[in-house]
Amino acid sequence: MKKPMNWSKISLIIAAVLLAAIPFVSDSRTWLILLTQIFIFSILAMSYDVLLGYAGMVSFGHAMFFGIGAYTTAVLLDRFEPTLLVFSLSIAAGMLIAGIISFFVGLLTLRLKDHFFAMLTLALSGLFLVLAEKWRSVTNGNDGFTFSAPDVFRDRAVFYLTVLALLVVVYFALRRFTNSPLGRVLIAVRENEQRTKALGYRTLAYKVIASVVAGVTASLAGSLYVVSLRFVNTSVMAMDVTLDALLMTIIGGVGTLIGPIIGAGIIELAQHYLSDLAGEYPLFERWIIFFGILYILAVIFFPTGIAGFFKSLFSRRRRPEADAPPLEPAKPEVPR
Amino acid sequence: MDLFVNLLVNGLATGMLIFLLASGLTLIFGLMDVLNFAHGGLFAWGAFASVWFYTATGSFFGAIAGAILTGIILGLITEKLIITPVYGNHIQQILITLGFMLVLTEMLKVVFGPNQLAAATPEWLNGSWVFGDIIIIKYRIFIIAVGIAVFTVIQFILRRTKIGLIVRAGVINKEMVQALGIDIKRLFLFVFIAGAALAALGGALFAPYSGVIYAEMGLEFAILAFIVVVIGGMGSFPGSLLAAILVGLAGSFMAYYVPALSLAVNMLLMAAVLIFRPQGLFTAKG
Repeated sequence: MKKPMNWSKISLIIAAVLLAAIPFVSDSRTWLILLTQIFIFSILAMSYDVLLGYAGMVSFGHAMFFGIGAYTTAVLLDRFEPTLLVFSLSIAAGMLIAGIISFFVGLLTLRLKDHFFAMLTLALSGLFLVLAEKWRSVTNGNDGFTFSAPDVFRDRAVFYLTVLALLVVVYFALRRFTNSPLGRVLIAVRENEQRTKALGYRTLAYKVIASVVAGVTASLAGSLYVVSLRFVNTSVMAMDVTLDALLMTIIGGVGTLIGPIIGAGIIELAQHYLSDLAGEYPLFERWIIFFGILYILAVIFFPTGIAGFFKSLFSRRRRPEADAPPLEPAKPEVPR
Repeated sequence: MDLFVNLLVNGLATGMLIFLLASGLTLIFGLMDVLNFAHGGLFAWGAFASVWFYTATGSFFGAIAGAILTGIILGLITEKLIITPVYGNHIQQILITLGFMLVLTEMLKVVFGPNQLAAATPEWLNGSWVFGDIIIIKYRIFIIAVGIAVFTVIQFILRRTKIGLIVRAGVINKEMVQALGIDIKRLFLFVFIAGAALAALGGALFAPYSGVIYAEMGLEFAILAFIVVVIGGMGSFPGSLLAAILVGLAGSFMAYYVPALSLAVNMLLMAAVLIFRPQGLFTAKG
């Protein structure tokens, strides 16, 4: 059966191509750095949304996976030659470590219900923050350390294009993941875990998979983040990272992948421009307040955020069941 | 010996402050299944309000009364605007109370400025008693005394009055209490405001104890309070006192003997309790 032309896919590819053209038509360094930052946080926010929007779990420990990627890349680039090979290997190593840790963290925490899950992830990421602060021989604690990035990234445009390419890859990979039968089971877990269990799915296993996917992706974001700064300190493990991801995901749109990208764009741009305004109007120094209020309003009135709002506008014209096939009962497992 | 006594008094005083924060949290959770992540914000507001009222009125009791009043007003706002709209949806509750925490913290910086403030100890609580080589700071004893007094009063209300009976019954089975014709929403509002007032009182007492207050301290203490609530058992009032003392003492002794592990110990304790005994060490009983 031939699929109809996928409209959203095409418009996204056009957007990506337009973004890729920016460094060739403009030479504003500020813009390149700002957009790079937006892409990196988009990856982080998308990874958070796999947990929050698809599996329906609020984790307060996402910073630990971001931090793992950040420290792995920073330490490896610092100890070995700052080459592209070490950079790539450090990203892979970070993702591997984050994958292993998120697997065990998932096994430990995902049995617990909402509140307890949130608190246990908070505690575990607190432990990682303490570890980063105290393990001074590797992390240099709160002071952090600087390191050199691979030479090719000295040209900001190259790094910009690399991050953009990775964002596109991550987006389509996660899109594939969430649209797969596995992703549909996760959505079913979010909607009604008891019923999914009753259909014969081992929900814990599915949730652990989601947690690993989210952890690995967050680690990639962390690796890119420190390379963009050429500096790392304990702030990459701090609660603020989780809060940023949460704000971006909620405001942009939970349960969509484009939402977190929109959210990351809005928050990073606003942070940039509102802190400029702060010079004239001191109230804008506290720009986060506006987002806090926006966030609260979004939770109450627009639980699906900006992306969900537009999606519901468009999908009114389509039959709603078209994009969500019903979940089939699991194939029975033969007991051993 | 003097070291031991000092660490003991220190730990008990910190424990009592955490208890003031955690006791409200645990009752709110036990009664309504609401875990208020904004509770630490109320604590911080209590601290800032007390410093403001202390400068304004010049009286320590004026400062405490002002802080409690602030706590009551903020508690009312939180319950009506933040908790009620998402009642029954756990995920939304966690998200929205965390967002409100952010707003409360930033509002503090708008109102009182972004820098940390100095907090003075009132004259009559300043100084210390000296017994041989043991030096006991008066203010710490004062905090412990207030903590015990608050515990006694609330325990009396819970055990001996009708409203306490209803609260205890609500913690065990709220559907049944509702079926018996009691407006549990109103009861919840009452408990929530009481919890907010206790958190603000805790903040007010903390201000002179630490000497400086800053907006982010809300989240720091809230994490300790969550640990206490988990260890003590969600909904258990005496459990929250015992767990708070445990966490306070562990913090004070570890900070002296193994400083690298002082925060980690409490986190590990909570992780262990959540994994092996999720209902907490002490469960709510009738």
